[in-house]
Amino acid sequence: MGTTTPGQPSTTTSTAYVGVHVTASGFTYHHADRERPAFAGIDLDIAAGEKVLLAGASGAGKSTLLHSIAGVLQNDDASSTGDLLLNGLPPEHARGRAGLMQQDPESQVVLSRIGDDVAFACENLAVPPAEIPGRCQQALQAVGLDYLPLEHPTAALSGGQKQRLALAGILAMQPGLLLLDEPTANLDPDGAEQVRNSVITAAQSTGATLIVVEHHLGRWLDQVDTLIVLEPGGGVRHRVSASTLHHDKALRAELIAAGLWVPGHDVLETLPMWFSREREPGAPADHTLLTGTGLAVSRESPHRSWRKTPPSQPVLSGVDITLHSGVATGITGRNGAGKSTLLLTLGGLLEPHDGVITASSVLKGKHGAQLHESPHQWRSADLTSRIGTVFQEPEHQFVRHTVNSELRLSAEQAKVPGTKESLFTEQEVATRVASLLDRLRLTHLADANPFTLSGGEKRRLSVGTALAAGPEVLMLDEPTFGQDAHTFAELIGLLREHVDAGGTVVAVTHDQDFLRGLNVDLFALSSPEVRQTPGDDPAPPGSRSTPLLSAVRDASWLGQRGPLAKLIALSFITLALISTIDPVSAAVVAAASFALLPVANIRLGTFLKRIWIFAAAAVMAVWGAAVAAEESGRVLLDLGLTTVSTGSLEMGLSLGARAFAIVLPSVLIFSTTDPTDLADALAQQLKLPARFVLGALAAMRLLGLMAAHWTTLGHARRARGLGTRFFSQAFGLLVQAIRIATRLAVTMESRGFGAGQRTWSRSADFTRADGVVVLGGLVIAVSATALAIWAGTWNLVWM
Amino acid sequence: MKSSAPAPIRQRWTVSDIVVASTLAVASGVIFWGWNLSYHAVSTLFIAYPPAASLVAGMWLFPAVLGALIIRKPGAAIYCEMVAAAVSALLGSQWGLGVLLSGFVQGVGAELILLVFLYRRFTVDVAVLAGAAAGLAGGINENWIASYYQYDAIGTLTHIAGFAISGAVIAGFIPWLATRGLAATGALAPLRSRKAHRESAFGTGSREAPAAPSS
Repeated sequence: MGTTTPGQPSTTTSTAYVGVHVTASGFTYHHADRERPAFAGIDLDIAAGEKVLLAGASGAGKSTLLHSIAGVLQNDDASSTGDLLLNGLPPEHARGRAGLMQQDPESQVVLSRIGDDVAFACENLAVPPAEIPGRCQQALQAVGLDYLPLEHPTAALSGGQKQRLALAGILAMQPGLLLLDEPTANLDPDGAEQVRNSVITAAQSTGATLIVVEHHLGRWLDQVDTLIVLEPGGGVRHRVSASTLHHDKALRAELIAAGLWVPGHDVLETLPMWFSREREPGAPADHTLLTGTGLAVSRESPHRSWRKTPPSQPVLSGVDITLHSGVATGITGRNGAGKSTLLLTLGGLLEPHDGVITASSVLKGKHGAQLHESPHQWRSADLTSRIGTVFQEPEHQFVRHTVNSELRLSAEQAKVPGTKESLFTEQEVATRVASLLDRLRLTHLADANPFTLSGGEKRRLSVGTALAAGPEVLMLDEPTFGQDAHTFAELIGLLREHVDAGGTVVAVTHDQDFLRGLNVDLFALSSPEVRQTPGDDPAPPGSRSTPLLSAVRDASWLGQRGPLAKLIALSFITLALISTIDPVSAAVVAAASFALLPVANIRLGTFLKRIWIFAAAAVMAVWGAAVAAEESGRVLLDLGLTTVSTGSLEMGLSLGARAFAIVLPSVLIFSTTDPTDLADALAQQLKLPARFVLGALAAMRLLGLMAAHWTTLGHARRARGLGTRFFSQAFGLLVQAIRIATRLAVTMESRGFGAGQRTWSRSADFTRADGVVVLGGLVIAVSATALAIWAGTWNLVWM
Repeated sequence: MKSSAPAPIRQRWTVSDIVVASTLAVASGVIFWGWNLSYHAVSTLFIAYPPAASLVAGMWLFPAVLGALIIRKPGAAIYCEMVAAAVSALLGSQWGLGVLLSGFVQGVGAELILLVFLYRRFTVDVAVLAGAAAGLAGGINENWIASYYQYDAIGTLTHIAGFAISGAVIAGFIPWLATRGLAATGALAPLRSRKAHRESAFGTGSREAPAAPSS
């Protein structure tokens, strides 16, 4: 622990901060099972300290090139030819010299506290532990996050802050090359600007070479030296000075045609002139579709749950909003202001905490007279044909194997209210699907798997699945995040058609072009809460109804003890209980657990709330044995096929007491043990393989995120008219889990993870107090067993 | 496929393997949680004869076979099942620390079947066998090792048989289907199982998968 020899010389020498010279000649990369190479014959010469903006149409292999340079492309069956060198070394041998930042903020964070997260790369590169705190402090300062304590939970950061934290983690490696893959695509404008400024400052002050991939060229153009454009499936098409783009008409036209956002070019001007109907003189009186009065919204259910304390405070209250047909509405406001929550509530997916939502008779339609006022009360089959919701992540909405069946399903799920009768005839369904495929320009992909589509195609299909059921109201959450200019224009076109047909569009967005393109009525949310820190967006509040591991260390006496000692103590106690089925040892352990509550600083009431569900499970165990254990003694209850006898009931009570006793000490131990500390102990003290321990730890951090995905997948199924579909929801979660994991693996690998010997910035040691914990566990285990033997109830189960 | 001698298989786990396996296990923990919320009533169906409740217990075993089919390297079944168990333990499991023992024993059950086939066959029959083995191991653990139940002979037999059947279906056949579905989404691209959807259900299609160039 921490005594390893300084690792690879290339990572720790004092020359580490000199920019990296990147060269490529005839470099070609071919993914396994693809027809065409990602790129072919790339020749590059990027000077040390040069700042490059890398552009190209979607699918031009920009990300693949960046991953190659970062040395994180290691697919078994892929093939690459030609040379790619960083300061004359192949990328795999230049570990730690290149830092990579990807698009999705969630997968750029590895650990649950910011200090640990920044130190992660240094540890992987075997930086001497004494040197690590200084490097971390410096890196956090460089990205402007040094005002936060090192213990600050990473889950509480906003997207922009997460990206800046990722940059700090990269800078702490003291790399000579910064590689950024659309680092701001998922951020709001403020967050994006802060990330951009941090990156540029860092590159300038360290002299590192910078390569950034971005669709919004204007965001970086004036800050970089060079613009490189890739040819899809080919090599470098252009390599020009960045300022060239401001005046070179041919180049501008080419990049506009490739779907890039070129500064000074308004995508909306290329679309036909459009006025929403309401704005036209002499427009017919609008129909109100949906009205919300005095709304208070929250992700949590307003009902007191069976296992929870009273429901949480709504994020937003006192909202009055009316949606008219033929008009688009844009909901804007800061991060964490409750925009998406309001959208989901209006969409009938969340129940309002207060206030009423009223669907008008126009929205209810000709069959809908008997429908409830509030969409939240509707069956999903009635909701989907009236209010459609398009989620930020298109994949959340996909439930079928082909594009065609995805659209068909939507049309078929729409039902006549109160019946199982389809709203559309078989003929109408076929027509709707065909016409939508055409409008979405997806006809050639009708048999493709939705998950394999490109980003823009997925976005169009996600809108299509909502439209196919024929809803009047279309809700969209950040529909243009990460999309290129082509998809943006197509999306605007689709939504304009929807509004023209008398529908309405409600969008949560930061995208000014989008708001302008649909001529929206603005609905700006002002968040009254005090902002946490100057210049930073507050993070979205975590949902408490979902499983979440806290990143805050427990301050109790037990909380400060080493995890290994606690685990050993717990093992003793568990072994003592498992080895026998008797009520005496169970009673001893239960009594000891309650007696130890003060050392864990857990109040009795809190403890009881946590364990009562286990008591219920224990009652089931009693019943199970009473009914199905060997009959002995007097028969108490004859159930025909089986009986309850005194013997079987006694056995049941013993089993129940034992089951209940097993859970009590583990609740004490696990609620006072921090997963990161546990991982440190397992890897350093128990010498379990560090790659696996840290991999598991990094995945544990995703628990809260996975739970949030689970909830959203459930909403998406309801919005699509499917009601509750457990297996579809589980499959959707697995897809998202693997996608996130794949990106996280790239992040970890690009920070030197898995390379070889690593150091630990914090050493896990065994203290005298830890000895007390182990001894305490042993005493409880031995006394439980001894008392049971003395009482004559002890019986070794394995005999 | 062409060479008759099996190609040497690189069995060292890549970073992707480790992180995907870990995340799958954590996602499984969330699915357990969702299952608990949605299907709390299921267990009450078995009040009449509690030993039969093991017919839905395969739900707790699916990470083992799913992990093995997706990662296709030694140890995947045990690792995924144990990390999933650890997640349950951290969130508060009915069996306390005992859940780790269960996870280990069940994982070993599935792992043994994959070992018998030398980690070269990931067909539906192997998946079903592995799921059944995990269930069998789980049943043995719960009745004789951790001894959470003390049923009479018929009850014990019912419980273990139910566990194995449930394992074969919920933790064997369904993970096999899920793996094919996942491969079809393209999400498994960096993993050995990326072509799972194009392999035949019983065939030898999986033999070509590990033909990795040595590096």
